[in-house]
Amino acid sequence: MLVLAIDTALDACAAAVLDTDTNWLIVQESLPMSRGHAEALMPLLERLMKASGLAFSALDRIAVTTGPGSFTGLRVGLSAARGIALAANKPVVGVTTLSAYAAPLVSENGGNAVLSVIDARHDQAYFQLVTGSGGTLVRPRLAPVSEILDCARYGAPRIVGNLAEALAARWSASAPPVEVRQLAAPEIAWVAWLGAAVSPNTAPARPYYLRAPDARPQRGGPPSSPPA
Amino acid sequence: MTSTATLMLGIETTCDETAAAVVERQADGAGRILSNVIRSQIDEHAPYGGVVPEIAARAHVDLLDGIVASAMKEAAVGYAQLGGVAAAAGPGLIGGVIVGLTTAKAIALVHGKPLIAVNHLEAHALTPRLVCPLAFPYCLFLASGGHTQIVAVLGVGNYVRLGTTVDDAIGEAFDKVAKMLGLPYPGGPQVERLAAAGDPHRFAFPRPMMGRKDANFSLSGLKTAVRNEAERAAPLERQDIADLCAGFQAAVLESTADRLTVGLALFQERFGPPRALVAAGGVAANQAIRGALQSVAARAETALIVPPPALCTDNGAMIAWAGLERLALGLVDDMAAMPRARWRLDTDTPTPAQFANTRAQH
Repeated sequence: MLVLAIDTALDACAAAVLDTDTNWLIVQESLPMSRGHAEALMPLLERLMKASGLAFSALDRIAVTTGPGSFTGLRVGLSAARGIALAANKPVVGVTTLSAYAAPLVSENGGNAVLSVIDARHDQAYFQLVTGSGGTLVRPRLAPVSEILDCARYGAPRIVGNLAEALAARWSASAPPVEVRQLAAPEIAWVAWLGAAVSPNTAPARPYYLRAPDARPQRGGPPSSPPA
Repeated sequence: MTSTATLMLGIETTCDETAAAVVERQADGAGRILSNVIRSQIDEHAPYGGVVPEIAARAHVDLLDGIVASAMKEAAVGYAQLGGVAAAAGPGLIGGVIVGLTTAKAIALVHGKPLIAVNHLEAHALTPRLVCPLAFPYCLFLASGGHTQIVAVLGVGNYVRLGTTVDDAIGEAFDKVAKMLGLPYPGGPQVERLAAAGDPHRFAFPRPMMGRKDANFSLSGLKTAVRNEAERAAPLERQDIADLCAGFQAAVLESTADRLTVGLALFQERFGPPRALVAAGGVAANQAIRGALQSVAARAETALIVPPPALCTDNGAMIAWAGLERLALGLVDDMAAMPRARWRLDTDTPTPAQFANTRAQH
């Protein structure tokens, strides 16, 4: 299967084409960036596809990170992935950034639990906890960092994500993390591998914000009297 | 390039409409709309009493590929038949602009078609040429929730802004007045409806900018005057609200007529007689305003052209048409085209010094 993978949800603008049959990453490019994904992604994809020598019609599917991450960043990747899928008439799948972070640490042999953590600012983080073989322990959610430290009750974890080091520094001394992988963004190859593994029916390419928009409904009723 | 008909997909996502359309430009320059699909987000924003940028951006990314698919299907056109893909690249709410422009780039890249990054204001400016064979130059009055401008349209890509608002847009002022009077969102049409039942003379509202030599607008002071009178008259009965709406609308009409008369005189001075006065934007759907424009145009001895309401408000067909007009002149963009929150139609016209810190510079 030929998978075009795209990730712009965090501090990188990245894409790759993976051939799962030959286990060959045909092309890949990852640019570190905290802003400017909207300007950078499409020129990157143009270069990448040209370098691959492949036509879009040769692809079997498109995979894209859905978040959590920068609201704008994940919409850049999703718009590109869904636009390509629509125009090339190919299936498109979504992969969460938390799963993409955890993927290289998860294996059939198990091992310590894997905690993925993504900075959500204001001392909060998006996180999920899975067993060493990928089983769910704590479903993805947004929480204060202090609450995430409670995951220590599942034993000494392996921590991965863009907040891994900060979290490890505050971790309980009784079960210190056995591994800490500080990464600004998931590895694009793992986005492609996960994208090949999931089904378009159960892994839609839809935003996974995990946080509501910052807006409050206005008060009801007309202002029938002057303010006090 | 124009020896045969050209097809263009147009995408519009700069505010709270998710829209896509397929338009054809025939060899003689005439336009034909093959599809024009618009999904308004009014329901999503109504609880907040106005457009919330993050909610708009979320809706655009959820909806846009489906809207594009509908527009292509309705037009019975395949991507390979397109002569290009156009998207509004600004000005507007940046979250939505990014979704629309990125989607357009993706479609253009897959099929090796030219991309045209269209200025949303330019699309409004060129819309009359989609519906009738109008030659340059003409005078555009663009009034919507986000924009209020008088523009000399001299050619494709050749615009001179003659006047603009230094604070609120006209549509924005209508919506804000509606909100302060407790009318449901979107408030513009509600204000117009109630104004019809009100006494425009009961409240003496100011006529902003009347008699000034420039052709700029200001709505903020008028809006404050309405708020002050509303608070003084509270608690408000239905008739009070109707009278406030009528007084406000009358002030807007008189001010707009004056500003446009000055704008048309400036046009005449610099570029000779305009071929027409063209109205665009959601405000042009207001019947009272249309009436005022009619008499302004008559006094200036020029024709008034108001495109049908569906083409006055934001839509994909106008983006596709602007894309076609640009493509015919070889004006195309590449994958690096920037999404722009701010994008003035004419970068050459300096903002008057006294407005340097106002929204006029946008």
